[in-house]
Amino acid sequence: MDRRDFIASLGVAAVASHLPLWAAEDPSSGRITLLHTNDTHSHIEPFGPGNGPISGLGGVARRATLLRQLRQQLGSVLLLDAGDTFQGTPYFNRYKGRLDYQLMRMLGYDAGTLGNHDFDNGVGMLVEAMESMEQLQHSSPPFAFVNCNFDFKGAPDLGRRVQPYLIREFPGLRVGITGAGVAFAGLVAPKNHEGIGWKDPYESLRPVVQRLREVDKVDLVVVLSHLGYDMKGAAPDDLQMPGRVAGIDAIIGGHSHTFLETPTRVPQARGETLIFQVGFGGVNLGRMDFAVARGTIRSASGSSMPVLG
Amino acid sequence: MKPKPASVLLSILLSVSLMAQPPGTKAEVVPVTALIPEDAEIQKVIAPFAAEIKASFDLPLVQAPQGLFRGRRGEENLLGYWVSDVMRGAAEAVTGRPVRLAITNAGGLRSNLRPGLLKVADIYELMPFENELVVIELNGAEVIQVVKESIVRRGGEPCSGVKAVVQGTPEAATLTITWADGTPIDPAATVKVATSDYLYGGGDSIPTLKKGRKPFTTGLTLRQILLDECGRLAKEKKDLVAPAPGRYTIPVPIQEAIRDKKFKF
Repeated sequence: MDRRDFIASLGVAAVASHLPLWAAEDPSSGRITLLHTNDTHSHIEPFGPGNGPISGLGGVARRATLLRQLRQQLGSVLLLDAGDTFQGTPYFNRYKGRLDYQLMRMLGYDAGTLGNHDFDNGVGMLVEAMESMEQLQHSSPPFAFVNCNFDFKGAPDLGRRVQPYLIREFPGLRVGITGAGVAFAGLVAPKNHEGIGWKDPYESLRPVVQRLREVDKVDLVVVLSHLGYDMKGAAPDDLQMPGRVAGIDAIIGGHSHTFLETPTRVPQARGETLIFQVGFGGVNLGRMDFAVARGTIRSASGSSMPVLG
Repeated sequence: MKPKPASVLLSILLSVSLMAQPPGTKAEVVPVTALIPEDAEIQKVIAPFAAEIKASFDLPLVQAPQGLFRGRRGEENLLGYWVSDVMRGAAEAVTGRPVRLAITNAGGLRSNLRPGLLKVADIYELMPFENELVVIELNGAEVIQVVKESIVRRGGEPCSGVKAVVQGTPEAATLTITWADGTPIDPAATVKVATSDYLYGGGDSIPTLKKGRKPFTTGLTLRQILLDECGRLAKEKKDLVAPAPGRYTIPVPIQEAIRDKKFKF
């Protein structure tokens, strides 16, 4: 690619990412925008002064405004979260995660996954927070939890509320969403994850992604990962995932609180995987745009948007 | 568009160069609006909870004129020393027996205490977890092993009651551990040790703590004993000041080897 083509391609990416998207006319083609957060850690209010470069950023009410503005401009949107919603401010200590999940529902989240800190008050309290979100009277439906590498056999109340994957249909495309969680050892006290087993995320993802691709015929596979961006070989992570599990288009990451401005593109057996993570505490909202035609991804781009008040 | 190898490489280079920038530096990112007002409906939901939080968490606790800090690279974790001192004191109060060592994990201390009047919220930010104070029994040899493990894995976890001095080079290091008053530790003696349920349960960095015998789960959260200590100081009209350094003495080259995970005794 010469320089002129490269600049042109940047222009296309910028247009794809920042202008209103046209409704697809071809029934076998479509566009979708993934909006996402990770590691919000009960930061209901914006960060106060004295927090360095993130001072004044974030806040759920501002995120709500940004989401409303984006939804007015965009066509198909999924709002997703990569886990560690809990722990970090007195809001969690006092309201035990119920307020966090209820607000996520009010904001119209479609799905989230479980991070290690979501188990900080034990399985029972996690289930209670989920229940309070389900029972809320609100026009937005309850959001789903996805994870494919926890074995919930010994914790049926939680297992009933977490599905290995889900499929959402949009004009011109189908999206499959699954999730992966970090190992409990050293991160979650044994009594707080009683009854839940952890399995290798790559081994668990492989059959799920394959099923989504080959049986459910989705056009886009999204993984909500709470494994961390780059564990330097010490544990499974997002950077290694595309090489270990073929067929993932987007990884929405968490756990390592990594601030990325744009998604990292990693080549894999079926093209490339976009890996993204937008810091923590709700200071940014992540955005990835995909255009799909006849089962092939035509363009993919993304950026991190600061939640600036 | 099937990406050509060259464009993949360019994309990777592009994202790597963007990643290298500190958060807040803008590349080609254009927010929908520069400033985002709060959504009135959501703000209305949050307001009563925020008021309740504010009422309970804005309560003043105690003055900390210099603040207490976890320390930058190479500095001792004086905030952690204070926490472990409070743990040891609380453990002695509930067991009615001498507690020779308290040890916690620096990773569980989630923020510094900035100088000024501390509020309830500051202690919640420092210690958001519901971790419980646990008192166990170890022998002297195990106490030495606990301190050793904490040095090798984390450069010394915050502790109260002992003093550790590392000398020599990363290749040939010696370790001297005594009680805080400089008296030697009898490897055969049985002593009481205070820690958190998290560390006793095998969390983080110090596996020997799992060997603790006769565990006494106090039912006190670490947060509660810190809040109580602040309240006691305020009642006695005292300020909260950081303990003196000197519990871990580790030469810089050895600290660096520990950080690079290349150190053992």
